[in-house]
Amino acid sequence: MTYTILGRCAKTGRVGIGIATFSITVGRYAHSSKSNAGVTVSQANANENNNAIALRLLAQGMGAAAVLQTLKDNDTYHSYRQIGVIDRTGAVAAYTGANVRGWAGEVSGPNFISTGNGLRGQHVVEAIAKGFLAEPDADLEHRLLLALEYGRDAGGQGNATTHRTERSAALQVSSHHIHPDIDLRVDLHDKAVDELRRVWGIYKQYETYYAERGRNPRSAMGQEAFIASMKAAE
Amino acid sequence: MTFSLIGRCTRTGRLGLGITTYSLAVGGRCEGVAANVGVCKTQAFPNRTNDPLGIKLLAQGYLPAEVMNKFATNDTEHSYRQIAIMDRDGKIAAHTGPGCRGWAGHKEAADCVAFGNGLLGPQVLDGMIAGFLENPGDALEYRLMRAIEGGRDAGGQGPADAHRTERSAAIKVVDRRDFPDVDVRVDVHETAVEELRRVLEEFKLYEEFYRGRDTDPSKAIPQDVFVKQLDARRARA
Repeated sequence: MTYTILGRCAKTGRVGIGIATFSITVGRYAHSSKSNAGVTVSQANANENNNAIALRLLAQGMGAAAVLQTLKDNDTYHSYRQIGVIDRTGAVAAYTGANVRGWAGEVSGPNFISTGNGLRGQHVVEAIAKGFLAEPDADLEHRLLLALEYGRDAGGQGNATTHRTERSAALQVSSHHIHPDIDLRVDLHDKAVDELRRVWGIYKQYETYYAERGRNPRSAMGQEAFIASMKAAE
Repeated sequence: MTFSLIGRCTRTGRLGLGITTYSLAVGGRCEGVAANVGVCKTQAFPNRTNDPLGIKLLAQGYLPAEVMNKFATNDTEHSYRQIAIMDRDGKIAAHTGPGCRGWAGHKEAADCVAFGNGLLGPQVLDGMIAGFLENPGDALEYRLMRAIEGGRDAGGQGPADAHRTERSAAIKVVDRRDFPDVDVRVDVHETAVEELRRVLEEFKLYEEFYRGRDTDPSKAIPQDVFVKQLDARRARA
């Protein structure tokens, strides 16, 4: 049980992932975006090696379809996996193995893949895609969060009779830096998508301060002074 | 304001980082934990390119001390950084620039280096090291957790008249696989160290189940079933 949006901003080339699931600490699988390479996910019965391999292949210049084929060829149990890959051009490749449990599948288009398993139905991945496409000019991290929220509001995980809550969630976005721009997680929570939005909302206020503090430490104010200045501006 | 410990398990060769701080989402700025290579963490006023660069240099065979030299050469603001590096053999290099604010320092002990800034004093590093060395037979993630708790219990962050709580925390442990064995985080919380302990304990209950889904999914039971079994075991306990 998991639903995920992989996305690329066509304007900026930034790539990222939003993921939510019944499993705990899903952020372990969300080290999956890389600057000048692309973004990928392996879920359902995740082959945890796949992300590292896929990002190396993408960084070497291999396209999304060829990367997906390589991951399948490299894995005896690929029929139990669900995989998505977006390369640096925005080309997409997605796969749901026949042995993935519950309703499982994906919707994709240029620059995005909405994928999930153990969901209430096809309408959930369609809602996730709709969320991603709802505000195409917004920052990628906001679009990814919006996609997760649309998925949650469409019923999320479970089956016809049972709903399963999101117990963990994660958001990662990379642009041209050697490290991700954004890397946020909720590891263990009753409403992880709601909590991820809260964490992002708070983090967003600090984002520029943290980046600037590292670049220009001589002129950086203390964090208490920064918080006081934020409160004063409210 | 941050306190961290990089540690190595001599028995297994596993490497890891435990970190907590007043800043938010610190686990999202810990790229320098790499299986079969080493650990590198830059904090205080962090240069975000250091850790990925450090891992690449270690992978090329440079010793931690030489990686540190390269950092100094590559960064006009090196004096504002606090950095610790450990390679896969347990060799250590550490640097606390004079520009780091508040009480700041680092200390090495067996298989570990503790480093922090904006702290109550050197007793925080001593508390971390004592926590790490307490049960050397434990899995590395538990030793790192005890190190963070030891630092917290020794007073943690801030001067004596203005204690600062830990708002985020993380533990990462790598072994031979291409991804961390353990990767748990708390990004925004009032008492992040306590919450990290809760997340770690819960994760440890699922760890083997999640690993099994990866290595042989054809034998994996659904998570619903696993959770029911877990609840039954808890009810009996």
